[in-house]
Amino acid sequence: MKDLILVMGGGIIGLSCALELSRRGVNVRLLETGRCGGQASGAAAGMLAPYSENVEAPDEFFMLCRESLSLYPAWQQLVRECSGNSFEYTPSGSLYVAYHEADLLGLQSRMNWQRTCGSSAVILQGDDLFEAEPGLSRKALAALWTPEESHIYAPDFVTALKSACLSSGVDIQEELGALDLAAWEDHIEVQAASGEIFTGDQLVVCTGAWAGELSGKLGMRIPVQPIRGQICAYTWDAEQTPLNHMVFSSQGYLVQKANGTLVCGASEDIAGFDTSVTDRGIRRLLQWNKNVVPALEQAEPFHRWAGLRPSTLDGRPLIGRVPQAERVVFAAGHYRNGILLSPVTAKLAANCVEGRPLQAWQHAFRPDRFGVAAKVLRS
Amino acid sequence: MNQDTWRIGNHEMSSRFFLGTGLFPSPFVQNEAIAVSGAEVLTFAIRRVNLDAVEDDSILQHVEPEAFQFLPNTSGARTADEAVRIARLARASGLSDWVKVEISASERTLLPDPIETLRATEILVKEGFTVLPYISDDPVICRKLEEAGAAAIMPGGAPIGTGLGILNPYNISLIVEEASVPVIVDAGLGTASDAALALELGASAVLMNTPVAKAKDPVGMALAMKLAIEAGRLTYLSGRVPKKQYASASSGLEAMVSRPSSPDVL
Ligand SMILES: Cc1cc2nc3c(=O)[nH]c(=O)nc-3n(C[C@H](O)[C@H](O)[C@H](O)COP(=O)(O)OP(=O)(O)OC[C@H]3O[C@@H](n4cnc5c(N)ncnc54)[C@H](O)[C@@H]3O)c2cc1C
Repeated sequence: MKDLILVMGGGIIGLSCALELSRRGVNVRLLETGRCGGQASGAAAGMLAPYSENVEAPDEFFMLCRESLSLYPAWQQLVRECSGNSFEYTPSGSLYVAYHEADLLGLQSRMNWQRTCGSSAVILQGDDLFEAEPGLSRKALAALWTPEESHIYAPDFVTALKSACLSSGVDIQEELGALDLAAWEDHIEVQAASGEIFTGDQLVVCTGAWAGELSGKLGMRIPVQPIRGQICAYTWDAEQTPLNHMVFSSQGYLVQKANGTLVCGASEDIAGFDTSVTDRGIRRLLQWNKNVVPALEQAEPFHRWAGLRPSTLDGRPLIGRVPQAERVVFAAGHYRNGILLSPVTAKLAANCVEGRPLQAWQHAFRPDRFGVAAKVLRS
Repeated sequence: MNQDTWRIGNHEMSSRFFLGTGLFPSPFVQNEAIAVSGAEVLTFAIRRVNLDAVEDDSILQHVEPEAFQFLPNTSGARTADEAVRIARLARASGLSDWVKVEISASERTLLPDPIETLRATEILVKEGFTVLPYISDDPVICRKLEEAGAAAIMPGGAPIGTGLGILNPYNISLIVEEASVPVIVDAGLGTASDAALALELGASAVLMNTPVAKAKDPVGMALAMKLAIEAGRLTYLSGRVPKKQYASASSGLEAMVSRPSSPDVL
């Protein structure tokens, strides 16, 4: 009989891993405590922005982000075909806006290294800038324009991923309540709140901000913490000046969606697993965003929501097989970039399931890299 | 060691660790790292701060302003005039009247421009700022900055973010020897022994960001740096032994001859 792979977690990472595995001919069952896409993945702004998210220097994380961006055109096409669903995928490019003369040095050095890494970015100033983005505040001094970045409508994309999984033969079990890893040595056993037990040959852990729960069980340090992101959206119809690009600043971002909304994000709150929306969190967004698009001064968001980003101790995801538990593969901890990183994560996790080694530079994401040492020292 | 405090202007401190708040992987990790570092002074780039509403800034909202002395810096400035304008903005927003003057001439090395740094220091001192200039490890310019009224001198160990450590320990000790204001080794440190060395050379403190924030475990590294800084300081106060050309027995020759197998003479 063919091996059965269990995937824990039905966010964008779990769904993408499940789809990739089943496309490779593997039997997959996906287990979700709540609803697929009901956590971070359904809350995201959907920006695919490796350059705007990595401003300092090219490192392994940047390489991962960039590789994933390059996989996106074919990947989203596959999801479209397998699901028959449609969703927005817009190659808008991005502007990273600077307000200070002192920002120019940083923009310049960022542009210099990024242009050697697949970006064709240029710095826009004065008339060029306002021609490219007429709704932008005249307080903006300059912006780095990165044509390669794009965005996707995350809620629809996740729905399409789920349909694609189903039509590729993935067995999806939702609303299972608390799920517990009961065995992982000779085979995998996951127990649902009802007592029902799911068995399999390998497990892919895609539980996002909850990945740290397995730490004690597997005897390794899994430093994943939830960081709440609060975000809001405005109605942005035809009489408003359209926002042509995703617009980033040091305080947040704005992105217009094809469904006639303008999304403004996002806070980074330390609030445990609390997903509530707070006045302060949203007020902060409303106070600065008029410095980016003055027309927002008169507008009120019609929708406010929040999600829990899975952050890690070094900001990098955990991807790979666990040496202490060789049937377990991790794919979690994608923090601010899980939508962007979903295709590359699916490919790497599927490689691990098939027993193929990661490339040397991808060892930066090994799930066992945090060991135990520092924790012992501090306690 | 409890009494080993030091001051900049009227501000008394016991920690000798200035920590930069940029580059951390998340606000959670940043807060944990700040907590274990014991740092009393936090530094950040003014250009990145939302000066209209500091309490709402994407980074500063996570730290309690009453608990720290802020040291905003003018990074990104290329001339004295730019640095002065940025410093005034920061003070007007109520952030702090301390300022780290940082003026870079080259976007590749980010090495400080000494002429512009001296000019900006003169202007800002006259305007009543507590000025801490970031400068190359040259004893002559450091002296001139002190004469211009700098409250502390911040020579770099190596270019910003390189982690190369203290490239010229000789210069740092000369700067310390000649200065009558605190010397804070800023920039280029990579690891705990670099921090310890700075304090062993007599620096009053070190300023770091990259080696902590970009470590695999920034919280563990913040603690390592704190311990190294304390060890380096204690070494400096305790007086290291002089270096010698040849070996010399630590106990008398006689003892070694009479009890050759005893482990406690080794
Ligand atoms: C406001 C906001 C804006 C964002 N914007 C962007 C963006 O523009 N671009 C981008 O790339 N990223 C963005 N992100 C980040 C992105 O949303 C996340 O990185 C990504 O969704 C993580 O996906 P995930 O599948 O790991 O987590 P999740 O979507 O949280 O999925 C994890 C799933 O696991 C389930 N689960 C938990 N425990 C168990 C268990 N024991 N067993 C089974 N299932 C379990 C949960 O119910 C959940 O459904 C944003 C995030 C937020 C909050």
